[in-house]
Amino acid sequence: MEAALQEKLKGLMASKLSREMRLYLDTCARCGICIEACHAYASMPETRYTAVARAETIRRLFRRYFKAEGRLLPGLGETIELDDAALEKVHETAYTCTGCRRCMTYCPFGIDTQMIQGIAKLLLIGADREPKLLTMLADMSIAKGETIRDTKGAFEQAVRNLEAEVIEKWRGEAGREAIPVGVKGADVLYVALAGKHSIIPAAAIMNAAGEKWSLSYFEAVNFGAFVGNPEKTREISRRIIDEATELGVREVAICECGTAYRVMKHQTGRHPFEVISFVDLMERYLRDGRIRVDRAKLDGSRVTYHDPCQMARNGGVIEEPRRVLRELAGDFVEMRPNRGENWCCGGGGGLVAMGEKDFRMKSARVKAEQVRATGATVLATACENCHTQLSDLNEHYGMGVRVAFLSQLVADALVQA
Amino acid sequence: MADTIYFLILVPMVYLAAAVFVVGIVGRVARILASPPHGSTLRIFPARRASGLRALADTFLMPQARKHTPVFWVFLMLFHLAFLLLILGHLDLIPGVGLMPADSPHMLGGGAVGVAVTLAILYFLLRRMQGPVREISTLGDYLLLLLLLFLALTGGMISWANSWNQANGGFVISKQDFGAYLASLLRFDFASPRDLLPGSHYIVVVIHVFLANLFLMVFPFTKIIHTFFAMPLNRLRRG
Ligand code: SF4
Ligand code: SF4
Repeated sequence: MEAALQEKLKGLMASKLSREMRLYLDTCARCGICIEACHAYASMPETRYTAVARAETIRRLFRRYFKAEGRLLPGLGETIELDDAALEKVHETAYTCTGCRRCMTYCPFGIDTQMIQGIAKLLLIGADREPKLLTMLADMSIAKGETIRDTKGAFEQAVRNLEAEVIEKWRGEAGREAIPVGVKGADVLYVALAGKHSIIPAAAIMNAAGEKWSLSYFEAVNFGAFVGNPEKTREISRRIIDEATELGVREVAICECGTAYRVMKHQTGRHPFEVISFVDLMERYLRDGRIRVDRAKLDGSRVTYHDPCQMARNGGVIEEPRRVLRELAGDFVEMRPNRGENWCCGGGGGLVAMGEKDFRMKSARVKAEQVRATGATVLATACENCHTQLSDLNEHYGMGVRVAFLSQLVADALVQA
Repeated sequence: MADTIYFLILVPMVYLAAAVFVVGIVGRVARILASPPHGSTLRIFPARRASGLRALADTFLMPQARKHTPVFWVFLMLFHLAFLLLILGHLDLIPGVGLMPADSPHMLGGGAVGVAVTLAILYFLLRRMQGPVREISTLGDYLLLLLLLFLALTGGMISWANSWNQANGGFVISKQDFGAYLASLLRFDFASPRDLLPGSHYIVVVIHVFLANLFLMVFPFTKIIHTFFAMPLNRLRRG
């Protein structure tokens, strides 16, 4: 590797060395308690898929270039050189880790492997070796923010084309738009994904609740976070923050997308509006009696719920989806483990967007077994990534379930007053 | 010649080790504090009340380890508790500390804590040499455990050898002797330790102190630093 590139990568690594990162990098006792935590290791027991081994690659680079003991005694077996071989390894550890942070629930120190993989991802960007698709998708999101004036018309037209389908689910008041856009002073700005499955059910539900809402021009997904590019992550969130501020909304409701929710809720600081998940919103409507649902829709179905890692363990949306499901289904069963300890579906960290089907299927065998053990026929979840991955698993392992978004189940069961 | 080396180990090296220990830790903590804060939460959910207390419990009781590796947890607790008692026991040798009754010839724990620590270290070593833990282990991990093992063994030997003379109503090197040595260290009077520590197993004491010095000197630069970082880390997780 050229010296200039090595210097650049060291600089990138240094930019990630926050207080917390240093604590994480300094502390691991290599006790191995986290070994069994990772779904990838549990599904295919190879040491490289353990949290500790993944982090160790980065730790060795850190020790080699940032610690006196690593510079003085590189031979103690705890350092590696930053070269092409190291980058290969970095790539493998970064893009086989879904960033689910389940290992944090095992480690006696709560070391955050996802955060450490943030260094790995940044090194790959610096070396121009990151998955190009993710960067491209992130750039597209950012470009959309810049060209919003030119594309607004086309967006609004596309939205109008969806309205008939919303009305099929819920007949709103005559003269009221089924999918309002650009509503100043709206109570809720709903940020969806680019796909009608993320817009239609939510629109029907909010219309049913009589919500004063507005659809965001932007899609919620943050590819900047998947590829581990802090600037792009910020820029992508900024578009939505600016829009919400400009419209003066009270709340920003993020659609069923775990990473989008976590980034917006927990990683973008304070705003003049509240950030909630669409699951929170549905739960609130049900609790306040603003919408009613027909339990008969799920008669004869046994329903279980997959906690998306970024929603539950890393986002805190845990009891709300359960309350929604108990309203909807007579036969709701928990998978085990659940809530903050749930197994990752195996699709996070950008893996679904990247394809990686072979690895995703193999590394999530435990997930398929866990779902199967519930005997459920409907597998509900609240994250786009999880939904795609669970659907693939369903097919691959013949799980025999119907994978459904929570919003879809609610929208299908809406009772027209 | 040998006497000079013994003196260097038992007196100046102790000061050096203590200095490296303190400066090393202060330096390490300062480096961390000088770094920019991450800026957003790193906690995991579900949120529970009294997060500070829970972080404390996570640090000292390791419920995660108890849940996922119960046998290992038993040895982890045994090791850490016994280690704590050993530190107290050694401090107790300093005249005037008085954790044990003044007339007791025994160290705090009476040798049992040393045995407990040794057993735990042996378990750690065996565990490290098997299965996936073996694959994540580095040379440094083994060296540290061996250092601890020999430290515990020499410590055990000293207290065992001391008991030989019990029939005659006293230890070969009594607690008071060790107390005099430590007091001399604290006074910086550079007195000859040989004059303070009689007994034919003096060499074992020298080795023990040498290993202890090493332990103190590597402390800030190895994973043992988790002693200081476990609490702040657990606070991050609890939020
Ligand atoms: S964050 Fe998840 S995928 Fe990554 S090492 Fe930890 S358990 Fe495995
Ligand atoms: S459980 Fe924590 S300290 Fe132990 S090996 Fe895993 S990351 Fe390191």
